[in-house]
Parts: sequence; C-alpha cells; structure tokens
Amino acid sequence: MEKQDVYDLLAEVCQDDVVKEELDMDIFEAGLLDSFGTITLLVEIEERFGISVPITEFNREEWNTPNKIAKELADRA
Amino acid sequence: MNILKAIQQNSIGYSEKIAFKSEDRSITYGELWEQSDQLAAYLLKQSSQAKSPIIVYGHMKPEVLISFLGSVKSGHPYIPVDVSIPFERINKIIESSQAEFLIATEDMSCEMFSKHPIKIIKEMELKKLLVDDAEKSSSKHWVQGNDNFYIIYTSGSTGNPKGVQISANNLSSFVDWMLVDFPIEREQTFLNQAPFSFDLSVMDLYPSLCSGGTLFAVTKEMIANPKVLFEGLSQSDIEVWTSTPSFAQLCLMEPSFRQELLPNLRTFLFCGEILPVNLAKQLQKRFPNARIFNLYGPTEATVAITKLEITKEIADSHTVLPIGHCKQDTELLVVDENGAPVAEGEKGELIILGPSVSKGYLGSPELTEKSFGIMNNKQAYTTGDAGYKKGGLYYYLGRLDFQVKVHGYRMELEEIEYSIAQSNYVKSCIVEPVYREEKVDYLTAYIVTNEHSFEKEYQLTAALRKELSNLLPAYMIPRKFTYLDQLPMTANGKVDRKLLATGVLA
Repeated sequence: MEKQDVYDLLAEVCQDDVVKEELDMDIFEAGLLDSFGTITLLVEIEERFGISVPITEFNREEWNTPNKIAKELADRA
Repeated sequence: MNILKAIQQNSIGYSEKIAFKSEDRSITYGELWEQSDQLAAYLLKQSSQAKSPIIVYGHMKPEVLISFLGSVKSGHPYIPVDVSIPFERINKIIESSQAEFLIATEDMSCEMFSKHPIKIIKEMELKKLLVDDAEKSSSKHWVQGNDNFYIIYTSGSTGNPKGVQISANNLSSFVDWMLVDFPIEREQTFLNQAPFSFDLSVMDLYPSLCSGGTLFAVTKEMIANPKVLFEGLSQSDIEVWTSTPSFAQLCLMEPSFRQELLPNLRTFLFCGEILPVNLAKQLQKRFPNARIFNLYGPTEATVAITKLEITKEIADSHTVLPIGHCKQDTELLVVDENGAPVAEGEKGELIILGPSVSKGYLGSPELTEKSFGIMNNKQAYTTGDAGYKKGGLYYYLGRLDFQVKVHGYRMELEEIEYSIAQSNYVKSCIVEPVYREEKVDYLTAYIVTNEHSFEKEYQLTAALRKELSNLLPAYMIPRKFTYLDQLPMTANGKVDRKLLATGVLA
C-alpha cells in the first residue's frame, strides 16, 4: 500500500480529485466526506488493503486529512 | 388517544422519571410538564394571533421538547427546525409559514430574520422564563381536533420548501396505531436518532412520551464521533430502536453492535427509506432477541401507514422486502394514470385515504389541490410513489417523479438544481442519484458552467459547495460535481437524464 493508493481511494470515495492535491485539507469540513461516506471508505480500506479499522477508532481529529489517513493506515499495515 | 392528556397523566404518574436524555442533559416528566406550562402561559400572553405557527430551532435538547409542548398547550402548532438547516432556508420557512414566534433553544444570530415581523425568544430569555413562577396553563387552550399540532417542512420541487400540516387528530391516529399494533410496552427506552425536523423522529417522540418511556437521543456530534456514539449506546439500555436503515448500517460497521451491547433491545422500527434484505438478515444474526419491523409512509400521512414484521422466513423468501399491511383505519389504493384501481399484482401509484392524512401544505392551495382531496368520504393523498399489492402485501417500487431519499432524507432533485443554478458560475445543471444496492448512495451534479477564473475544477467545486451551504442543508448537497460542455438532449429536446444516469459521460 503506497500513499498514492490511499489518495486514489479517497478520491474515489469523495468523488473529487482535490484530495490528491490538497493533502492537508480537512475533508469533513470541506463537505467531501460524511458519516455515510465514512462507511464506504472503511469498507474499501478493508477490501483493498486488508486493514480493518473499527468505526469506533475512526475519529475526525485523527482521520480528517488525506495525509493523516495515509499515516494512520501506514501505522496499521 | 389525546396526546397531551396522555403526557399529562405520565407527568403525574411518573413525575420523577426521565422523559428525555441527550448527552449530559435530561429532563423528567414532571419538569417537562411544568416548564412547558410556563412557556405556554407566556405565549398566551404575548401572542396576538390565535393558532399562529411557532418555529422551534435547535438540536436534541430538553428545551426543544419543552418548546414543542409549550406551543401546542397554548394552541399553536410548532415547526421543528434543526440546526442543520441554513439561515436562508429558515427565512423561506418564516415567509411561507407566517410564523409569529421563533424560539431559539440554541445560540443563534437572529439579525438574519430582521426583515420579518417574527417575535424571537432567545436562548437566554427562554431559560429565564422557564424558571419563572407563572400560572398554570389550562387545557382549554390546547391544540385539538383538526387544528395543526405540528408543521414539518420538506423539500419542494419549485425551490421552496413546503409545510406539511399535521393535526392533533392525524397524530392521534398514528400514535394509537403504534401503541396497539407494535410490541411497545409502558416505560421502555426509545432511541431518538432522527433530528426533529425529520418526521421519523415522531415515531419515537410521541409513542415514548405517551407510554411513559424514556427517549435516548443520539446527537449529530455523537454520529460524527462513533467512539462517543458507542460509549453512549452501551450506557443507554435502549429497548425500542427507531432509525433509518442507513443509521443501522453505520452501526453495523462496529463489531460490538450486537445483542450484548443492548441486551434489552426487543424492537427495531425502520422507516424513511427502503430496508435492504441484507441489513435485516445481519440484524437478525446480531440481535437474536429482537423483532424487526419495516414501515412505510410519507410525511403527508403522518410518518407511516404500513408495516411488516421481517421474520427469518420473510427475509429468506424475498429479494426486496414488502412494506406490508396498511393500518386498520386507513386504505391504501393502487391506481393507474386515470385514477382507476389496478388488478392485484399490477404496478400503479399509491393513494392513501384515512384519518392520518394531512389537510395539505400550509399556505399553498395549488400544491395542496394537486395531491390532496376527498375520496370515499375520506381525506386522501396521492403519494407519487409507485407500488403494487401481491398476496395481501404491499410493495414499494420507487418514485414517479424527481423526489429521492438519500440516507432517509427526502428531497426534490429539482430544488437542488434550482439552488445550484442560482450561482453565477452555473449556466445549467442537472442532479442525478447514484444507486448502490437498491438505495441512493449519493447525488451527482452535472453542470455546464459560465466563464470563470478557476484554474482547476476542484476549486470551482469548492466555491459552489460554499455557496450551496448557505441555501441547502448539508445532506442535500451533491457529493460529486461533474462539468460538461453541454447537457445531453433527447430527440424531443429534453435533458437526457437516462444517459446521465448511466454515467457514460462522467
């Protein structure tokens, strides 16, 4: 799992390529991801990268930018 | 059942019992009754217009319930407005409803509404008058019979939200059905997940208050932070679960969401969108002691009018779940384009007749006339929903127009298109739903732009999102923005929605 793979997945889930370019943007504040989008994201993370993140560990302070999400996933890989 | 009478009895019988609990705040039946009396007495003194609507702004606080009851005890219907609704839209609601008061249970900047003659009761003022020792209100002022109890605003295709009027009689018909035909017992704990501006909340609010139950609120802050949500749920001891299927789907992402977490959960009530078979099956596995009910109904007929218990047999023998049987005091017809009933098994439009059908849209006689009328001596609502009846069960087939449900939120695609088209960047626009496993997953906006100076499309998207957030609640803003040189047209000059929906242009 490369960082770029994470950004690509995020762009798919958010339906917006901005997340590949603005790596420190808050995707919740920008309205790109909501609670229901979060489910899609976690399902895809498990399917593609084999990393299972319980929804209770997904909090918006630590998972709110493309960079932070990539880091969280790298720590778990 | 007289709703207020039932709550009054509970305020005497269970005065110390908690009626509503939200994060670290709660209110007992005794406090709820007394404080809503004080508010009612104040409203009676200050009001110069009998039966004028009162907007109640806030999100799952005890003061919101106090304000609802205070309004109806003083003879005024309330209009619930959640904090997710932007000010521009609240302005439209004030204008359309001619509301006399706005009660702000949360801090809000009210200058936005200065062009209206509305009387605003601010958070601090409300707090003060609730501790005042006013005289008791008398039941002779209570909303009753055909008078409006609440008005819920829902998306309208012309770009303006429309207010569905629900009378005391409408609400009684619904609550009676809930308490008789469902396994709801006295003094149970109910989940309250839907914001009050969404009529799914009525499915837990009044059945709970009328049966001496406790409402356990799940706030938007909790939903945004699942860790806090599950800590809350584990302390909640919820016995009756009322939510959209989408919210249960979200909870199922957490492995601990099972019977052990909520050992006394016995009843799931789902409404607001299609209940997928797979979701029902997963819940049956995780909650072996609970019964699952699928309900159907539009806001215009007071929350819901059909139900079916989803047993293992039903789940195993269906790919699409039926919406079940109609409640006893109500008729559900399936008709063709000419309004003639169709044969069993044939597809048609659903028409609802009965005592829970609304009198119509507030201040909109033309819209009301289009969808409401009298049939067989009963108030009737033509739903715009397609369905059929087979083997004694009704099935829902989707909409006949451009209304969609996204995670349970009802909206008109035309209203979103209208709002996007307000932007100077936009020449024309079409919004289409994208489906995933029977349900709308998200919305895509297809936009033809005017000239603009943004270098990249995502910058334009960000600017459009910002503009839209002033006009529409977040749940109505499309997730995906796609830019086209022109919208595809059909041979007869209409926008080719089908071609857009297949996604070949995206």
